[in-house]
Amino acid sequence: MTMQTVLSDIGSINDKYVMFNRFTEDSDPGDSKFLFSAKDNLTSKDFETCCGSRILEGYHPVFDATAIAKMRNAGGKLIGKTNMDEFGFGTFSANSGFGIPRNPFDLERACGGSSGGSACAAAVIEDHVSLGVSTGGSICCPASFCGVYGIAPTYGRVSRYGLIDYGNSLDKIGLLSAKASDLTRYLPVISGRDERDPTSCVQPELEIKGDRIRSVAVPKEAAEGLSKDVSEAFLNSLETLKGMGIDVEYVDMPALKYAMPAYYVLATSEASTNLARYVGMRYGHQDGDLSLKFDDYFTYFRSKYFGDEAKRRILLGTYTRMAGFRDRYYAKALKVRMYVIDAYKQILKDHDAVLAPTMPFVAPRFDDISKMTPVESYKADYLTVPANLAGTPHLSVPCGYNADGMPIGMQFVADHWNEDRLLTMANEWDKAFDVRKAEVSL
Amino acid sequence: MKIGLEVHVQLPTKSKMFCSCPTTDAEGPNMHVCPTCLGMPGSRPVLNKKVLEYGIMLAKMLGCSVADTAWFSRKTYFYPDMSKSVQITQYDNPIGVKGMYYLNGKKPIRITRIHLEEDPGKTKRVGDLSSLIDYNRSGIPLAEIVTEPDLKTPAEAREFLGELIQDIRHIIDLPGDGERSIRCDCNISVGVERCEVKNVTGLKNVERALTFEVIRQTKILKAGGKIDRETRRFDEQRGVTISVRKKEFEADYGYIDEPDLGIYHIKAMAESIKIKESPLKRTMRLSSEYGLNEKAAKQLVATSMDLADLFERVAKATDVQIAKTWVAGAVSANWKAFEANDKADEDGIVDIISKFADGKITDTECNLELKAYMTGKDTESLKGAAADLDAVISEYLDKNPAIVEDYRKNEKAANRVIGFVMKQTGGAYSSADVVTAATRLLKERL
Amino acid sequence: MDREIVERVARAAHISLTEEELAKYSQDLTDILDYFKILDEAPDFEGFGVNPIEVADVVREDEPKMEFDPDELLKDMNTYDGYVRGPRLS
Repeated sequence: MTMQTVLSDIGSINDKYVMFNRFTEDSDPGDSKFLFSAKDNLTSKDFETCCGSRILEGYHPVFDATAIAKMRNAGGKLIGKTNMDEFGFGTFSANSGFGIPRNPFDLERACGGSSGGSACAAAVIEDHVSLGVSTGGSICCPASFCGVYGIAPTYGRVSRYGLIDYGNSLDKIGLLSAKASDLTRYLPVISGRDERDPTSCVQPELEIKGDRIRSVAVPKEAAEGLSKDVSEAFLNSLETLKGMGIDVEYVDMPALKYAMPAYYVLATSEASTNLARYVGMRYGHQDGDLSLKFDDYFTYFRSKYFGDEAKRRILLGTYTRMAGFRDRYYAKALKVRMYVIDAYKQILKDHDAVLAPTMPFVAPRFDDISKMTPVESYKADYLTVPANLAGTPHLSVPCGYNADGMPIGMQFVADHWNEDRLLTMANEWDKAFDVRKAEVSL
Repeated sequence: MKIGLEVHVQLPTKSKMFCSCPTTDAEGPNMHVCPTCLGMPGSRPVLNKKVLEYGIMLAKMLGCSVADTAWFSRKTYFYPDMSKSVQITQYDNPIGVKGMYYLNGKKPIRITRIHLEEDPGKTKRVGDLSSLIDYNRSGIPLAEIVTEPDLKTPAEAREFLGELIQDIRHIIDLPGDGERSIRCDCNISVGVERCEVKNVTGLKNVERALTFEVIRQTKILKAGGKIDRETRRFDEQRGVTISVRKKEFEADYGYIDEPDLGIYHIKAMAESIKIKESPLKRTMRLSSEYGLNEKAAKQLVATSMDLADLFERVAKATDVQIAKTWVAGAVSANWKAFEANDKADEDGIVDIISKFADGKITDTECNLELKAYMTGKDTESLKGAAADLDAVISEYLDKNPAIVEDYRKNEKAANRVIGFVMKQTGGAYSSADVVTAATRLLKERL
Repeated sequence: MDREIVERVARAAHISLTEEELAKYSQDLTDILDYFKILDEAPDFEGFGVNPIEVADVVREDEPKMEFDPDELLKDMNTYDGYVRGPRLS
């Protein structure tokens, strides 16, 4: 597809796949060098930015997120804002307050989440890169379900200025694309110190020297609870890696089982404070009855416009930091994070990366998702969460397809600041493995 | 009766705590605002370095232990003036703890802690029962100083605040109406249970609010009732405190660390910051170390800290008596002119006084030389002017010999001479000069 | 999780719940917290971190500047005479 074609077809593409909440009306790419999209939690001046939530309907930011600005400066044209789980709360983008993106390999199945729309755009639109955001796995999960490459860099590598917060110590902006080389091309564009985001100001420079992964550690704990098709594809991939001259070793990683609860405690604690500002004043919906007392006025908006999962996580996160519970949950989770980081560092002393399947199953059907309990959907993240908790960079590559043709992915985790290794891996893997494209018909 | 204060002091930075919006008074509401202080989704805080410096200075002034590492916390509470429903403050790691403040240089008031936090915006009640918010103040840096309940009366609380502000002003340059830029939460218990009066602005109102509480609480206890532990607010116009809600439990604030800012290693900064001695401390020290009476010490310090420095320097170079006579005397009298004179410095003054101390010049010569040096006028014209003044005084004494006799009985008689001469010479001489000359000439005639 | 606690939490979070929602969320939170129990067993780790990588000493100079036009910032807000309109205070 040429840029022109994409722009003229974008409406019908979106009708079928629902990847965008808002998209451009422009038919002419002008002198843009490439097209890109961005998850709708990144502020954009020229598109309403809703973060997947009805409470932010009508929010027109006055500033572009740094990542978007940088892509624009590099010659990119932002063509749309992609659908996502409300505020990032979800694994299937099914918690979107707007459209729910459909898996390009099977429209009855989910794209994953919370950057589902971005993965969909990357899989459907040729030559397309999308900015996604990962808090607990929201880049690699949809990348895996949609059969594309996804990279979540080290926490602090990409400026979060303009990112509407879910968890400030967990959010990372990254990339999704069907082309492995796009990751190498665009990561340097969006990375770098930004004085508007202090957490981006301590990074060493991103050096791309072709550093390789020569050995991987596979945690035994990660091999449990997988569906058969994932297990099979993963084991085959391990053979491929060995054929590429990469050493594969199974290791014990007992710290992994604590990562999930620690992650949810920290993420929801932070999220509940980040979402406190949505009270029907200043941005988003503001049309309430001002004669109500402020407590009631705020409660009215929050109860009306927050979705079910948002409410659940706000309640959970408010509880975990309340006096009397704070030590057991919030304070403990902070310590457990340090413990998990240490566990990774120990293993990464002797191996270049930790490797496991990205998700324990292929993209589920929408009606199966609606039957899942909250705990069941949280547990689906158990493979992506640990690296996210640790802030370590991680990469998902398509590594197989099940009998229905649904994509399966595997995830490499490198040490802090070692994106170079992951980028090289993506490129090398791309030569060794036949990545299938989704059939797109409009 | 126990009174404790939580004093909020606006720090006089040029830009806000977490964004670069100016802190000066704006022309209208919501003019010094940006995405950060408006809490817009996607915005992010960046700490103003000056806030840490001021925080450390105040912590040291209060004799607190300064933390080696500083970080910030999020305090969540909902109110229209809170642009993100979260106040970035310091919860479990205040910048300074366990200090002590000496009221009047003597009475110890324990300082529990001092921490840094941002101010919310300002609300206005409107006739139709809604509100209007101005976020110009949102994000202005504050230091919160918390005392133990060591204050005993409303008057004492006011006195404490007055001294505290003076000391703070001395080291960090508070704006002129500093008195109004102080807000206090006042905790007071007449009996066992305490009440908090939140957000009282200015010293006078603190005393009024506390006084009202004393009366209110005493009344209840006398009638055999119980004080409800609660939060109240002060109505400035009516001079009464009004119940707002039951005291909030810390539970509802749900403190967590603020990850957007990270941590700050401030040990080196803290060690390098030296704060100037406060005027009160200097006054007390001049009295005790040099035997200078309190009034004279206060006078020196009030004129200028540099003058007080000079006093100590001369005392050490010569002796205390000479410093008392000359620095508190002629040097002090000519200080204003000296400050305006680029060509004169403290070294010159010390040299002249040292010459007198060594017996190289007489006291009259010393007086003249000091004056000439400090004002920049030449000695000849000064001598001439001095002689003219002597002539005016002598002429008056010649015409009114009775005054000399009056003076023998009561020194205050000199005032008539001084008054006349001042009027006669129409301000050509400083009062200090006239007093010195008149006193000398009167004494000569005794 | 205790119904009373959920009510208290909901009040603190400014979310109103119907009877049905209260029951549902109480159950959800009970299940989730049950799953979180494993945290209690996690080993005690010495170490303090506000972020997963150490973010330290990032400050800015005290220089005032206005980067955005206030009118732009307020354009989508409910305002009156330059003030932002808000609900009743008490």
